[in-house]
Amino acid sequence: MAIIERSTPQVALPLVEVPVTASSTFGVLKRPVAATGWKSWLFTVDHKKIGIMYGAAAMFFFVLGGIEALLIRLQLAAPNGKVLNADVYNQMFTMHATTMVFLFVMPMAAAFANYFIPLQIGARDVAFPRLNAFGLWALISGGIFLNLAWFLGGAADGGWFMYAPNSGPVFSPTHGIDFWALGLQITGIASLAGAINLIVTLLNMRAPGMSLMRLPIFSWMALVVQFLLLFAVPVITVALFLLTFQRNFGATFFDVSAGADPLLWQHLFWIFGHPEVYILVLPSFGIVSEVLPVFSRKPLFGYPFVVFSGAAIGFVGWGVWAHHMFASGLGPVSVAVFSMTTMLIAVPTGVKIVNWTLTLWGGKLWFTTAMKFSIALIVLFTIGGLSGVTHAVAPADTQQTDTYYIVAHLHYVLFGGAVLGLFSGFYYWWPKVFGKMLSERIGTWNFWLMVIGMNLTFGPMHILGLQGQPRRMYIWTEARAGEGFFNLGFWNLVSSIGAFVIASGVLLFLINVVRTARSGIPAPLDPWDSRSLEWMTTNPPKEHNFDVIPTVHHLDEFFHRKYKEGDNGEMVKIKTAEEILTEQEQAADKHIHMPSPSYWPLVLALGLPITAYGVIYSIPIAVFGGFVILFAAFGLGLEPATAKDTDFDPPTDTDATSGEVVPVD
Amino acid sequence: MIASVLRRFRRWLPASAIVIALSGCATNAPQDTWKPKGPNAAKIDNLQKPIFAVAGIIGVIVFAAVIYCVIKFRDRGQPIPHQSHGNPALEITLTIIPALILTVVGVFTVRTVFDLAKTNDTEMIINVTGQQWWWEYDYPVQAQFGITQPIVTSGQLVFPAGTKVLLRATSRDVIHSFWIPALNGKRDVVPGRVQTNRIEADLPGIYAGQCTEFCGLSHANMRMEAVALSKEDFAKWVANQQSAYVAPADGTLAKEGESVFLSQCVRCHQVNGLTRADGSPAIAAADENVWSGVAPNLTHLMSRNTFAGAMFDLAKPACRDEVWESDPATFGGKYLQGVTEDCLNQSALRAWLRNAPAVKPMYTNPAQLTKTGGKTRGMPFLGLSESDIEKLVAYLLTRS
Repeated sequence: MAIIERSTPQVALPLVEVPVTASSTFGVLKRPVAATGWKSWLFTVDHKKIGIMYGAAAMFFFVLGGIEALLIRLQLAAPNGKVLNADVYNQMFTMHATTMVFLFVMPMAAAFANYFIPLQIGARDVAFPRLNAFGLWALISGGIFLNLAWFLGGAADGGWFMYAPNSGPVFSPTHGIDFWALGLQITGIASLAGAINLIVTLLNMRAPGMSLMRLPIFSWMALVVQFLLLFAVPVITVALFLLTFQRNFGATFFDVSAGADPLLWQHLFWIFGHPEVYILVLPSFGIVSEVLPVFSRKPLFGYPFVVFSGAAIGFVGWGVWAHHMFASGLGPVSVAVFSMTTMLIAVPTGVKIVNWTLTLWGGKLWFTTAMKFSIALIVLFTIGGLSGVTHAVAPADTQQTDTYYIVAHLHYVLFGGAVLGLFSGFYYWWPKVFGKMLSERIGTWNFWLMVIGMNLTFGPMHILGLQGQPRRMYIWTEARAGEGFFNLGFWNLVSSIGAFVIASGVLLFLINVVRTARSGIPAPLDPWDSRSLEWMTTNPPKEHNFDVIPTVHHLDEFFHRKYKEGDNGEMVKIKTAEEILTEQEQAADKHIHMPSPSYWPLVLALGLPITAYGVIYSIPIAVFGGFVILFAAFGLGLEPATAKDTDFDPPTDTDATSGEVVPVD
Repeated sequence: MIASVLRRFRRWLPASAIVIALSGCATNAPQDTWKPKGPNAAKIDNLQKPIFAVAGIIGVIVFAAVIYCVIKFRDRGQPIPHQSHGNPALEITLTIIPALILTVVGVFTVRTVFDLAKTNDTEMIINVTGQQWWWEYDYPVQAQFGITQPIVTSGQLVFPAGTKVLLRATSRDVIHSFWIPALNGKRDVVPGRVQTNRIEADLPGIYAGQCTEFCGLSHANMRMEAVALSKEDFAKWVANQQSAYVAPADGTLAKEGESVFLSQCVRCHQVNGLTRADGSPAIAAADENVWSGVAPNLTHLMSRNTFAGAMFDLAKPACRDEVWESDPATFGGKYLQGVTEDCLNQSALRAWLRNAPAVKPMYTNPAQLTKTGGKTRGMPFLGLSESDIEKLVAYLLTRS
């Protein structure tokens, strides 16, 4: 919508001739202006709606990846499993990882970043709202494209790491890997668009007074993540292009007989792949660093240390990639160097754990579901971090790599770290986003089922791996399972049962969401007595976020507006959230510009899978897709930021030159 | 009564939890990474055990600190705490302590890395070649071990115990990884590269391993076994591997099997010394039929008790167990007996000959072979008759 609080026309206006402008889509269609209904979602450029759609899409893919995980665990529950055959199993574990990494954790982190960065920094939207919408639709089209392969001859079957030359056309003759490479290319475009947008937003659009060292910690971690994306995605883009050209156009980048070295792929993949780990986990670190202080009723312990350790992880994360390759034959010098850098990165990671624990120390702890998830993250991520140190020790890693010990490690990091952080964020920010409280009773069950389930699932994998069960095997055999009651068969079964316990926890979350949507308790304005700016507006926030852009004087600005230190050092409440909001509303800005919805981001994003499909099956289709992209790019470029009055039905009567109205109180 | 039992149980709960945790592992897991059987694996084990201990202690400290906070600082109506933003001295201390611990760990790690990379005291060389989905082992001529002509075998890597063996490893197709946990860590085998890894076994015995780099369809079925023999037994093994071809006696079923082998199997599988009816040597032409260009050499198939990439036991379970469970002193003798007719796992071998792709997933369906110009990856369905299978089994039994 062009203007906030546009007056509903009191008088029917005479229809005027509509001039053909770029605004009305090359004179064909009127620009979308709906503020409600499905069109308001499809063509929106509002960061909040986009954030919610990122979240919904990510949740869909979480369920999909979870079903894939359940099938994997069903197959492995007993020796010589018969649930899946070798071919389907290989597709299943490839797509489980791909889906969880690229289509769940990354977009869910993007959902939080999109929704909360502008709110946390006191801005009304992101810097490039239409680019933001494009990122969302590119992600969704990439995700659908990736999974299309299931129906067109089989999904990718080379593992998410897709090592050459096993990923080549000879060794994987179906189109699965083609869909994988091009699908990830599309989601990569989405990530890049998002990264540029959020970096500009975070650096340029902070409220007055919000220096970088007053930036809420979630936004800080998101900033680090966006820089990681900005530099990591191009690397995987290059690698994926090489792979696509090898598979579809006869190039020989990884073809040994043509003189190539297959380790090239591994270096490219892991130069992307290791920063990717921090891309996945830092947003959750940010969330936890918001949640723990709120429910401990004291500031984050050592905020600058948490900020700088996050940034340090962002830097050192680039120097550790070859620890994924300790067994690949790098030679002792490289192995020693990467072993040391990997230990180095454990230091800033440890700083975070120390700071979270010390945030709890001396606090006044309130065990909401969000808080429980965050506390569990401290412990479970620590387990993942410590097992990580055991394979930073390169000689030990040559025993551990490609066994279930690594599967255990990575799931303690990504489930115990990233996923629990995201769930903490769901429970913490749900009232902010939807104006209703998720049930804490169901939330507690959800929490315990997920935490117990994850320990049942991934805990035994430590034993499985150290006792020699390799990963990525569609069957395991009793001949290698050892003896005794606690043989590997027992632990495989426990792990499979645990997977269903996790699934029941996730199911309870979904039930909680549906129940809340139908009949939840309306959320109070400030249900958790929170600390940062996003709580200084209504639940859910107004389209323009803030009636007046706040001036920031403190880290934890909102808290300091509510509380002051009393004479004897005690914190005294001086204002309620409602009072602060009322102050804001009374001082509301008279002229608020918001960008208008647009068709073009969606059209542009739809051009991408058409092109990708054409690359695989027929070049003319790819050329057509290219034209769609070009057409949409011009459409986007020529379109003004706000819709003309004539795009509205009935047309608005605003001042034609400025496109502004005075809001009606 | 019950209450007192419960109370006693509760008192013992922490202790029993520890006992369960310690006994929570399988016994005799063949690929256990914590049971080194040679000096290389032992070096890794000596490095990793203290590091696991340190990691465990740190984990317990963090866990205890969090639990303490959760109990001690729960909301009991106390006032909102002082809004302390941290304590830089404490922060720096708690940053330096882990950094110091990691430095110590790092020093030992780097020492072990270089120690394990040493190859200048190698006593024996064996070439290891991975392909989808089996391992080939070939022994260059090494007179000091009695190897006067190259030996090519597969399935089981036979080597002398107490000898420093250098594996020179490569691949004919995709990346695989060679791993015998009891002897050393993994080494990827990469096409176009020759990478080395040292193994040494303290005692004679059989050590299990598994390909650990995902290598496509039948990755799960690509296993291997390393067999350490005493030096005397190894010499006997070498002598047998180098023995001249003995054709089956005329008129036997095995002789008929030889001609089936010549018409069907020799397309890919080599049997050293085998000649055609016209007296010309039968040379396997696997390169024309198989993408990786080689199929297992079957000259002494019955000398190893596994086949098809160590996926199946060539010996019946009882005979297999006898070899696997024998003590180091008697192991060599049992192993060198090979697979006799009584011990042959007939059902597995016949199922394989009847329809190999049905029992091991492989790329042999012509529809999947367009990109390889019709070459298979793995053994195809041959359409052998039951009588041909009968004859082949009889023939293969003579390949001891």
